[in-house]
Amino acid sequence: MSDDIKVPSVLVENVSKWYGQVIGINDVSLAIEGGVTGILGPNGAGKSTLFKLLMGRIKPNQGSVKLFGIDPWEDTSPYRRIGYVSESERLYDWMTGQDFVSTLARLHGMTRNEADSRAEHVLEFVGLYDVRHKEIGKYSKGMRQRVKIAHALVHDPDLIILDEPLHGCDPIARTSIMNVIKELGNQGKTVLVSSHILEEIERITEQIVILHNGRLLALGNIYAIRDLLDKHPHRIMITTEEPRKLANAFIGEEPIYGVRFPEEGKLEIQTNDLSAAHSVLPRVIVESEVKVSRIDNPDDNLESLLEYLIGG
Amino acid sequence: MTEIDKQGRNLSTTVWTQLDRKAGAITELTIRQLRNRISTWVVLGVGVLLISLLLVFYIDSIRDEFEPYDNDGDSEDWDNDGYPLGQENIYGTSDYDEFNFPGSSEYIYQGDIDWNDQPRTHEGNHTWYYAWGYFNPIWIDVNASNPFIYNYDWIDWSLGDYFCEEEGLGSDPFERGPNGYYGFENSNIDRNYCQFENGTYIMFGAAFSGEGEFFVEPGWNTEWGYVTESFFVEKHPKSMYIDEDDIDWDGTSVSSSQGFDDDGDCLKDDYLVESTPSDSNRNGIYCDVQWTYDQYGNLISIRADSNVDEDPDDSRHIGESSHRTFIIGTGKIAFVMLLGLFLPLFLALGLVRDESENGTLHYLLSKPIHRGEFILYRLLGYLAIVVSYTVILTFIIAFITSIIGPGESIIRLSDYPVWMGISLSTILVLIAYGSVFNTVGLVLPRYGVYLCILFGVWEFLMGLFTITIPSSDITMLSISHWAIQIIDATVMIAWSDTPLMQQQADAFGLETGISFFWHPPVHTLGTGSPFVALIISVVFILIFSLGMILIGQLIFRKKEIM
Repeated sequence: MSDDIKVPSVLVENVSKWYGQVIGINDVSLAIEGGVTGILGPNGAGKSTLFKLLMGRIKPNQGSVKLFGIDPWEDTSPYRRIGYVSESERLYDWMTGQDFVSTLARLHGMTRNEADSRAEHVLEFVGLYDVRHKEIGKYSKGMRQRVKIAHALVHDPDLIILDEPLHGCDPIARTSIMNVIKELGNQGKTVLVSSHILEEIERITEQIVILHNGRLLALGNIYAIRDLLDKHPHRIMITTEEPRKLANAFIGEEPIYGVRFPEEGKLEIQTNDLSAAHSVLPRVIVESEVKVSRIDNPDDNLESLLEYLIGG
Repeated sequence: MTEIDKQGRNLSTTVWTQLDRKAGAITELTIRQLRNRISTWVVLGVGVLLISLLLVFYIDSIRDEFEPYDNDGDSEDWDNDGYPLGQENIYGTSDYDEFNFPGSSEYIYQGDIDWNDQPRTHEGNHTWYYAWGYFNPIWIDVNASNPFIYNYDWIDWSLGDYFCEEEGLGSDPFERGPNGYYGFENSNIDRNYCQFENGTYIMFGAAFSGEGEFFVEPGWNTEWGYVTESFFVEKHPKSMYIDEDDIDWDGTSVSSSQGFDDDGDCLKDDYLVESTPSDSNRNGIYCDVQWTYDQYGNLISIRADSNVDEDPDDSRHIGESSHRTFIIGTGKIAFVMLLGLFLPLFLALGLVRDESENGTLHYLLSKPIHRGEFILYRLLGYLAIVVSYTVILTFIIAFITSIIGPGESIIRLSDYPVWMGISLSTILVLIAYGSVFNTVGLVLPRYGVYLCILFGVWEFLMGLFTITIPSSDITMLSISHWAIQIIDATVMIAWSDTPLMQQQADAFGLETGISFFWHPPVHTLGTGSPFVALIISVVFILIFSLGMILIGQLIFRKKEIM
């Protein structure tokens, strides 16, 4: 299939893109070939800009973008081997899933029959075979995401780019989509998945790229990042009528190393191991017989992790 | 069975067939999208409504115009003598006097003595008229009734004898008396004659019949003639004088005297009185129509003598001419200027813009398709809908009007080339406006619609301007001008006698609007050939459209899509 096996699927060299005064991507270079790669970054980090550059929607101000060695702004031929799932949630709601996938398959030059059978095949792969003749407008959020993935896979691409594919899905759909992505990676395809949630990426792949404020912050194995993460202090904010009583109950629990009362009716507990803290939390609350109205994780987002990484 | 090309590839997967499939897929998607939008059906429905209304109007009005109409009004019988005006005109009688009709007795002039003539006596058996002088009768008819229509000077013999000696005749009877009367001093006497006892009469402007010698008093006059015997003339039905004098034209295109007074009201062959037939066009030939052509065979003028070809066959002339006017007007205004503008405004403006705004453009652009091709295929999808719509709509209206239209044949086949011209013109306009609006939608996604409306107003005004004055130069800057040229040219080709019909309409006063709605094509490069105008106009619109599509493609290729 690929004659140019030495050329990486994705090659981005010193690319900068700015919109007026706002910088989207700042001097990013990366080469990706084979397996699933997570593109991680908070909102506004430049993930979508990077994907738009890859998909030839926008032109870099500096540097070069190459897909299979070809500039996608000048030439659409790489798209024969690429499947793209955009972050847009809009679809042709009046079409059935089968129709949608098969119509777009024909844009790859397939005949109507080829397109129909390929569409059935990929819809089965993403688990929408049974509802393929239903209108997309009647699909659930997760089904909509999966039909988008199906259209991107219909021509059996070598490179698949998914922009926030898990966004807004319920846990079941999320698991199902993650399995699809992992399966694609196992098939030896190059897959790019973006997300602003570390946990999601962690469950799909070990290979990650972290973008922050348009810059490439880290690139490599997720465990290296995990080590940093473990040292990152987490806070859990509990809203309760009796914060002091609850604080007493927490003392002596292994993952928790400190408590604080930031304001009336609030308790802040500090931990280095967020998942362990979460596993003891329900038991402690039940045993202390204190009424809790709300639990927040103010640090459980990539933003604060990245702030920590940069600052740390 | 698989076909293999020179490079050994399976022919079904060469680049060209793949392009074909992509084109098919995008075109089909576009058609389905447009079909799924309510606005599409609204604008198509309004178009059908407009054409249906025009058809109703056509059916209603064209039927009236087929009714034979008395263009010259000579089927009326104003005096109720049973002879219509047309028949009275032929015999030279009056339609305002019930005693004066074809075959009624008539006074025929024979001679007169004027106020300065010599000699001043005349002898004979006559009816005397406006007689001033002395009559010495051999006999005088005292029983004859008044044969004159507007002459009340006929002697009323029933009043009895009247002697000059007894009535105090003045010493000089042909001088006015003190009371302002001739002859008699008694102002109560209103008679215009008296008799001397020797039998001689004095006549003061009297009218009478008799044989004898008449001496005209110097300075006065008399006239004499005879009254014809009455004879029977069959009364013509009024319907004979409707459509009785058709336009006669032998089909030549050389300046000549044509036309014939079919009903005889110009030639006046049956006149009892010798009368000069009309030559009001002054070509030296009585009762004809002078057709004048220039050296190229173009009709310049038709001038008819009065009462010649004045009441043509209405279904043939007015009916035919109104029918053509309807088709031309509908083609130019309803099809080219209204459908031609509104269909693209609703269907083409958002072809790419809406995809971009809806966020569904990504699906299409992440496929191996050149953006330029994409625009082209989108336009193809739009055209598939509007072109089939136009063709079907034109065919329906063509079919209905060709069946109920005037003429002997069951179906008017000669209409179809014109309808095809209208269809072609509308399709070209749809291509041109579609590519303009699509491009505008790309460049100005938000405010493009206002620009398009402005453009549409310009095109509409230039279209109206072209219909009235096709030779004006400024209209050449609009698409509608060239589209209307196409219709004008096809009319010239399919109905080559339309200029003739216009001339006839103008010359014989048959007002049907054909001269307003149609003019011969202008852009013939001096050849006068409608085919040249047709080709030039088609090529112009196509080049414009291609240019517009190319501009759209260039802009879209360089456009960053967020």
